[in-house]
Order: sequence, then structure tokens, then C-alpha cells
Amino acid sequence: MAVTVRIPTVFRKFTGNAATVEVGPGTIADLIDQLEQMHPGFREQMLAEDGQLHRFVNVYVNDEDARYLEKLDTKVAEGDTVSILPSVAGGA
Amino acid sequence: MSESFPIPSSLAGEMIAHCLEGRPNEACGAIATDGHDLVKLFPITNAAASPMRYTFDQDEYKAVSDELWARGWDLGALYHSHTRTEAYPSPTDVRDAREDVPYVIVSLASEPPVIRAFRIVKENWQAPSGDVEEIPVEVTG
Repeated sequence: MAVTVRIPTVFRKFTGNAATVEVGPGTIADLIDQLEQMHPGFREQMLAEDGQLHRFVNVYVNDEDARYLEKLDTKVAEGDTVSILPSVAGGA
Repeated sequence: MSESFPIPSSLAGEMIAHCLEGRPNEACGAIATDGHDLVKLFPITNAAASPMRYTFDQDEYKAVSDELWARGWDLGALYHSHTRTEAYPSPTDVRDAREDVPYVIVSLASEPPVIRAFRIVKENWQAPSGDVEEIPVEVTG
């Protein structure tokens, strides 16, 4: 059983419009590497210049925010669901 | 090709009511699509609690996202209110646009409130500026 990654609307231009992508287990950094291999350009959408998750990109392993786990080193197991959700904001 | 933004009158009514309730602060939320039609409004707490800014409460947005997946729906649009300005994306709205769906703005600056919808087209989500294209709103049924 693979890991299911839920892709937010804004990143689907990199996944051929796919709303989910299946990857193998590993750390979140490993998953991003796999996504980059499958869909070039994906990594730079996810990471800031310091190599960490961009502060406006939230990554959840099942229900847990990876920022409160081990960030890019958070382990993702087979059968887990990873949700990528951007921060939504704006204002008049 | 002309695109329109059809929204059921029941959802438009719920959205305006949520925006009015949120005053003096901006109100915000998401609208689900079943792939064809907009089917449900999800009001989301404005974590910024400001008359000039909105930020989705992240935990609520995650819960909404989970419900969309569980029901086989998808994100159809995002909405927020402008309490004192027209229903048009501000530079902040453009800079902070981070989903590729129509952005609906409800202006409470006039009576009755005005609903308009826009696509905010950017090179990528981190770009500070982009093009704003209006999508004519069509209130249905």
C-alpha cells in the first residue's frame, strides 16, 4: 500500500491536474524528492530558500501538522495520507 | 470562450449572511463543488480577526479539506468579505492568492451587498502580483 498525497489546486498544474499522487513511504523530504522526480518543478513550490517547508505551505500526515512533528524528517508510513494545504489569506 | 460563475441562490444567501455576521471584521470561507455545481458553503473562522485582513483558521481549513475528500467533492471557490471597499481583489488579495480556484468577494460597502468572482492568475503561487480576470456571477435557482 502506497502513501496518498493530496495535491492542492494551486499545485495541480505540476501533476497534470491530478488531485492525488501515490508515492512510496519515507520521510516528507523523501516524498518531495519522489514528487519532484515524477513532476519536475514540484520541489520549489514546497520549499523556501532555506530548504525548509515554505511557511505558507502546510503539510499534514493524516491529521498531524508536520511542523509540529519533525518537519521534513517526519516519517510517513504505507497507508498514510499526506495533505498539502496552502495558507489562505488576503484582505481589503 | 466565456466562463461564468454559477452559484445557487441558497449558497449566495448563506455567504452574504455569514459576511454580515462577521462585521466589523472580514469573514471568509470555502465553497465545495461536486465537479459540476457548487454544493456547500463552509464558513471558516478568520484567524486574523480584522476588518482589513483575513486568514483561514488552519485547523478548520484542514477539517473542511478532509470533509471534501470524504464526500468526493473538491474545492470549488474561496470567498471573503470586503467590509468597506468594493468587491474587487486588493493587492493583498492578489499577493496572497494561494489556491487555483475562483476568488469570490462580497462587498458590504453597499446595500444590498455585491458578489463578484475573479480568477487571480499568477506565474506561480509565490508571485507577488498577477492578473485579475472577472468571472460574471450568475445566481441560479
